[in-house]
Amino acid sequence: MEKMVGQRIKRKEDPKLITGNGVYLDDIKIPGLLHASILRSPHPHAKIVSIDKEKALAHPGVVAVYTGKDLEGKINPVPTSWKVPGMNLIETKQYPLAIDTARYVGDGVAMVIAESKYTARDAVEMIEVEYEVLPSVANQKEARKEGAHQIYEEVPDNVAFKYVAGEVTDEDLENAEVLIKGTYNTQRVAPSPMETRNSLAQYNPGSGDLKLYVGSQNPHIHRMVLSEVLNFPEHKFHVKVADMGGGFGGKIGVYPDEALVSYAAMDLKRPVKWVETRNEHFQSANAGRDMMVDLELAGTKDGKITALRAVNHANIGAYLATFGPGNPTIDFGLMLSGPYKIEKAQCTTYGMYTNTMSVDSYRGAGKPEVTFMLERAVEDFARKINMDPVEVRRINFASKEEFPFTNAQGLIYDSGDYVKALDKAVENAGYQELREKQKELRAQGRYIGIGLSSYVELSGFGPSAVAGGIGFQGGIWENSTVRVHPGGTVTVYTGTSPHGQGHDTTFSQIVKDKLGIPYEDINFVFNDTRAVSMGWGTYGSRSLAVGGNAVALATDKVVEKGRLLAAHLLEADVESIDFSEGIYSVRGEAGRRKTFKEIAKAANFAWNMPEGMEPGLEEKTFFDPSNFTYPFGTHIAVVEVDVETGGIKILRYIAVDDSGKIVNPTVAEGQILGGIAQGVGQALWEGVQYDEKGQLQSGSFMDYTMPKANFFPKIEMEFTETLSPVNQLGTKGVAESGTTGSIAAAANAVMDALAPLGVISIELPLKPEKVWKAIQKGGAKS
Amino acid sequence: MNNELVNVTITLNGEKRSADVEPRMLLVHFIRDVLNVTGSHIGCDTSQCGNCTILVNGRSTKSCTLLAVRADGSDVITVEGIGTTEKLHPIQQAFWDEHGLQCGYCTPGAMMASIDFLTQNPDPTDEEIREGLDGIICRCTGYEFIVNAVRSAAKMMNEDNAVKGEV
Amino acid sequence: MEIKHKYTFKDLSKQEVWDVIQDPEALQAALPNCETFEEVGDEEYKAVMKINMGAIQGEFTADVQQVDKKEPDSYRLLVKAKGKPGEIEADANMILDEADEGTELSCIAEVGSTGLMATVGQRMVGGVAKVVLGQFFKDIEKQAKQAAGQ
Repeated sequence: MEKMVGQRIKRKEDPKLITGNGVYLDDIKIPGLLHASILRSPHPHAKIVSIDKEKALAHPGVVAVYTGKDLEGKINPVPTSWKVPGMNLIETKQYPLAIDTARYVGDGVAMVIAESKYTARDAVEMIEVEYEVLPSVANQKEARKEGAHQIYEEVPDNVAFKYVAGEVTDEDLENAEVLIKGTYNTQRVAPSPMETRNSLAQYNPGSGDLKLYVGSQNPHIHRMVLSEVLNFPEHKFHVKVADMGGGFGGKIGVYPDEALVSYAAMDLKRPVKWVETRNEHFQSANAGRDMMVDLELAGTKDGKITALRAVNHANIGAYLATFGPGNPTIDFGLMLSGPYKIEKAQCTTYGMYTNTMSVDSYRGAGKPEVTFMLERAVEDFARKINMDPVEVRRINFASKEEFPFTNAQGLIYDSGDYVKALDKAVENAGYQELREKQKELRAQGRYIGIGLSSYVELSGFGPSAVAGGIGFQGGIWENSTVRVHPGGTVTVYTGTSPHGQGHDTTFSQIVKDKLGIPYEDINFVFNDTRAVSMGWGTYGSRSLAVGGNAVALATDKVVEKGRLLAAHLLEADVESIDFSEGIYSVRGEAGRRKTFKEIAKAANFAWNMPEGMEPGLEEKTFFDPSNFTYPFGTHIAVVEVDVETGGIKILRYIAVDDSGKIVNPTVAEGQILGGIAQGVGQALWEGVQYDEKGQLQSGSFMDYTMPKANFFPKIEMEFTETLSPVNQLGTKGVAESGTTGSIAAAANAVMDALAPLGVISIELPLKPEKVWKAIQKGGAKS
Repeated sequence: MNNELVNVTITLNGEKRSADVEPRMLLVHFIRDVLNVTGSHIGCDTSQCGNCTILVNGRSTKSCTLLAVRADGSDVITVEGIGTTEKLHPIQQAFWDEHGLQCGYCTPGAMMASIDFLTQNPDPTDEEIREGLDGIICRCTGYEFIVNAVRSAAKMMNEDNAVKGEV
Repeated sequence: MEIKHKYTFKDLSKQEVWDVIQDPEALQAALPNCETFEEVGDEEYKAVMKINMGAIQGEFTADVQQVDKKEPDSYRLLVKAKGKPGEIEADANMILDEADEGTELSCIAEVGSTGLMATVGQRMVGGVAKVVLGQFFKDIEKQAKQAAGQ
């Protein structure tokens, strides 16, 4: 029978979701349910002089009002979970509600609990807070300047951490034939899942159990961290994720709000729900990117890149987010040289406190930023030495014979064939014809640009010993239990936490191929700390590469136990038992057989087990991979810039991605497409705006441009398949690749279009007004 | 604030439903929180995302832009009213076939908007579909497979109509 | 955010305009939906105003201060207004110039805001300010003309 892995299987998840039968957190109602609403600071930095909550408390339907002072000593500060050794991290205290000082627009100041959502929001407006506005700073480079306002007394120059990876000397650069210096900033963007953050906590005073539904990509991390924050033990703490409307990194973080809701439920002994508004999401959900990068690139006239030296000022916000310190230092800092064989690379990262919302992972988390930097710089380099950018890439790529390939900063890439993906992209694009067409149209006064971006990503988190080495406060192995029921159907448990990625479907494909039972007989349980023993969640494109392989390994164990039992029941040697298409049979004697269903029953009944074998058919694996996986690819964008208006139209977009073995091409394409929309969104439209003091100015979808359907042409996609040697299935991460590859492709295309006009660089996003202004300046750097 | 409750009666997915609510209550909250029909979702506060799109008297409407009292007496259809897992509406079938959803949160709104769009324009080009989806924000899919789904639904619906002898 | 607004008072001298814009009663009458306007100190006023324009609506309590007065040429207006949608802080330079048709008044203000007004309504603040200022100057002009007996 044809294997299911590799097939375009329709998703199992969908019948529920397309009929309105999905159960998202806000759909859950519990008798006695109360509603929370949080009053947030309107000031970027202010002393809280006094809070008068009497009016709110007296409002009919209001059950409780909490302030930071009320909770002092009752809830601990929310910590970060990534402390890289050698970064000299100064972690400040993030109390769930600000006690004396609010440090960003959106910092929680008080929380109202009421009988209805409307009442809770009314009452929030009745709380009177007297603030003393303090000086503030929003921009990370400004924050490090002499005389900048000090947000914390204990943090000199607002530097939360400094981390240096690799070494490049001045000589390495000075002696270079060609030296490029450039600034490649990736602006702050909002992850913006369509379902905002939320929590629903229920406490049972009789059993002492706390159940928390929360919008989380990693419920076990939530349980672990919140257990510390709330002084509440993990064995009594049940964290569960309902159907979830997207995450994109925005729901990795453990947030104050979740601790507050849990606390209120325990304090009031009634269930409490909180659902963030979109305006709140812009204020107080972790943002992404916001890295200001100054790069020096040294190379030769014939196109070889010899050294990279970067200084990254990473805005980390007013408080450290859960993964905040790791993204700029590890994901960005150690990937500086990308897919290229470059002798030397150095990245110095300053993690800067500012009066803004915290910055954490957003799809790609460091890799899109570093790829943007590198691929923009490679194009600038190509232009400077007057060489085709395709050729420059080809010259510098690590070649497929060199894998496992050690990059300039010591990361070992598992497998790759970068030239293959580049060649395919160039071929699919019809690159040479495009260049000719571009020349032709330029003569007619039309400005077409062709932009490339080749990337490699650190994905599939990962080996736990490495996690320890880089200060990640947890493991990154994955666990799976395959439970076979007496009737032969199967429930599989794993610690990854899907919310749109389709694990139910793709993981079932893996199990189906191994057990040979009907696809419908396989069911998955995720997102539940009571059902799944332990797991590390869904981020870093790790679910399939680690979780999917854990499922595969646990299923293998089931097959092997079944084989032992079958041998016993068939009175044959274990070595002589074949298992295929759901049937155990004695080799060469087709008649002597047991179906998987029969074995399931025999194991569960345990009437006749081999000596020493335990009853049941349930196996568990903890899979800790030996390395990360490194997906790669090349994207090509073709745009036209209207020089009269600065408007940009994407004419074509060609993506060739390699994510190792593809389990379900349709699902994988969906991931690439969604990723590209977010990357191109960053390049052209999206951006969180703060003024220089830190006043948020983009608090809604009216003020923040989300990509829409008519912004894009049809994407031309293809995969190459270079298997990963570090896991059984040969899979790599896929979910972040589209984003990682696309920012630079889109930006390079625009810059390529504008090159004849002397425009060298424009800050992202490339909105028409900025593009128009740059064209007017004609060559001056804007 | 005038807290006197007012009666709102709507026909929801073919069934008459009635409740007394605050006059300021939004239709989306009335349907989700009072009538407990939760398939339509809320994705923003400012009527941009269209995740709450439903049909009011046959026209696609962002149910967060309408007060429940304004919908009094209306015929309202939500995702729960267009098909079941046993008998899917063509738009549901198409979203499933074409992988038009990932997290599924915007999907009910996207499907309801598409139904109205296809009623107005039964044989759209891809460009028209992309324009027609302007009122919907989806963060997962990059829209391409939604466009494919709407195109495929148009085909199915036209074939259905041909069978029924309608134009 | 910088807001710039210019208004020409036809056939009125600088002094005539000055006298009206310095008269608390005239100011109250000219400010749209101004409920109270009290003098609370030397050149310091407290006002309560209702604004209802799109997303920006509600009652605002404002502290208004006039400084650097150079009659009849210029003065600085410091406004701190507080309401449900957020706070507004404005520092406005008001400059009167002789013009061909009468007197031109330029208002150049640095305006900061917080709350919903900042996070959602930012783009609207400029527009709303223009409308309010427009109505205000128009009314002042009317009153000045009455005072001047035109």
